[in-house]
Amino acid sequence: MAAHEFELTRNITIGQYLPTGSFIHRIDPRIKIVAFTVLVAAIAVCDTYAGNIIALSFVCLLFRLSRIPVGYGLSGVKPAMPFIVILAVLQLLFYGEVASGGTVYLKYGVIIITSESIRLVIVSALRFIEIIFVSSVLTLSTSTTQLTHGMASLLKPLKHVKFPVHELSLIITIAIRFVPTFAMEMEKMMKAQASRGAQFGQSAWWKIVERTKDMFPLIIPLFHVAMNRAEDLVLAMEARCYTPGGERTSYRKLRARPGDYLVLLFCLLFSLFLIWFPY
Amino acid sequence: MEKGLTVRKIVIAGVLGAVAILLGVTRLGFIPVPTAAGNATIMHVPAVIGGIVQGPVVGLIIGLIFGVSSFLNATIPLFKDPLVAILPRLFIGVTAYLTYAGFKRVSEFAAIGVAGFVGSITNTILVLTMAVIRGYLAPGVAVTVAVTNGLPEAVVSVIVTLAVVVSWKKLGNAGKKKSKISGDF
Repeated sequence: MAAHEFELTRNITIGQYLPTGSFIHRIDPRIKIVAFTVLVAAIAVCDTYAGNIIALSFVCLLFRLSRIPVGYGLSGVKPAMPFIVILAVLQLLFYGEVASGGTVYLKYGVIIITSESIRLVIVSALRFIEIIFVSSVLTLSTSTTQLTHGMASLLKPLKHVKFPVHELSLIITIAIRFVPTFAMEMEKMMKAQASRGAQFGQSAWWKIVERTKDMFPLIIPLFHVAMNRAEDLVLAMEARCYTPGGERTSYRKLRARPGDYLVLLFCLLFSLFLIWFPY
Repeated sequence: MEKGLTVRKIVIAGVLGAVAILLGVTRLGFIPVPTAAGNATIMHVPAVIGGIVQGPVVGLIIGLIFGVSSFLNATIPLFKDPLVAILPRLFIGVTAYLTYAGFKRVSEFAAIGVAGFVGSITNTILVLTMAVIRGYLAPGVAVTVAVTNGLPEAVVSVIVTLAVVVSWKKLGNAGKKKSKISGDF
């Protein structure tokens, strides 16, 4: 069994944060979340070659500005690559009729390849890469604490309709915080079981029952670890007099500076430009 | 009596949500079944367990976390639709809780097992119904998927739910539950 099969933490990019202290890192998280949403929406709408190339270069520029190596973004694209390729091939072969118009390059039975369907394939692959890149810039330049604080602050108006904004953001913070911890626990358990002769994913793929049975020695202890950790955390929180629903203030106040609003304005204008870009 | 979310409810929802995300991102939560819809999943089990041990609200929140994470991780168009990926998942924990509450008087063990089964079936049926309504799958295909994916999912769900909840409840009865402030379930 290859060693990399035990390395669960390597595949988890969630909650990764690179504190390079760049100008993008210092933007108010609320502004970053709104700007991110606007950009993703614009990328999802934009369907021209030129527009997507501009968007892609803009996103690469974001990596430079935040001083994050582009490799981090590429590592997010890598696992999705087979799906992008399969999707592209399927679109290329069977979308000719839907995306009719343009020049027909090849017609063979049901397979029709037109200039329109080629455009569709290239644009959707580019779009996918752009969205992965933008989201990696967001998560790599903003810590999960900042993100959830930003989210909670943006959702604050919902408090008036008795929606438990603070509690929900706490639940999400706990969930994200514990993913890497459990991944490490899981690695430990896999190694412990394997050193006693257990084998994971070794049986052939058609032996579904075998493969399912292989999982039980991992999944059930995982739930136990989770429940025990939960009890510890409950105790720790109650020992510190945490009261759900209580009014609380925060040590760090989020404050947007004029520069942050300029960034937001720029992102808005850029998105409008992408949407209405004529070529 | 504390109303709304207690500390224990908040923490358990968060922790089981983490398990749901972990099962998704590490691909450990998938059972490789060779069918049209791809893999069967056991990622709904945390929602079932949360519903049984801490009530419908916690089940619903874990379902939401599971739905959002499956929506974000999705690589096939079917689950890139929030109406298919998120909405049906909200009900997993709720139906599991209702089943458990209904059967509890008969037998604790039977109630947990049946709740595991019902929670899993809720996921299968609602997701596939949504998929048919939104036009991703033909009704015939959906029925096949329900049998080939839904049944193994339900069996695994019953086994894991029983194993985890029974031992967790015992943990509580043996007085090992560390904090005494939050209301017992």
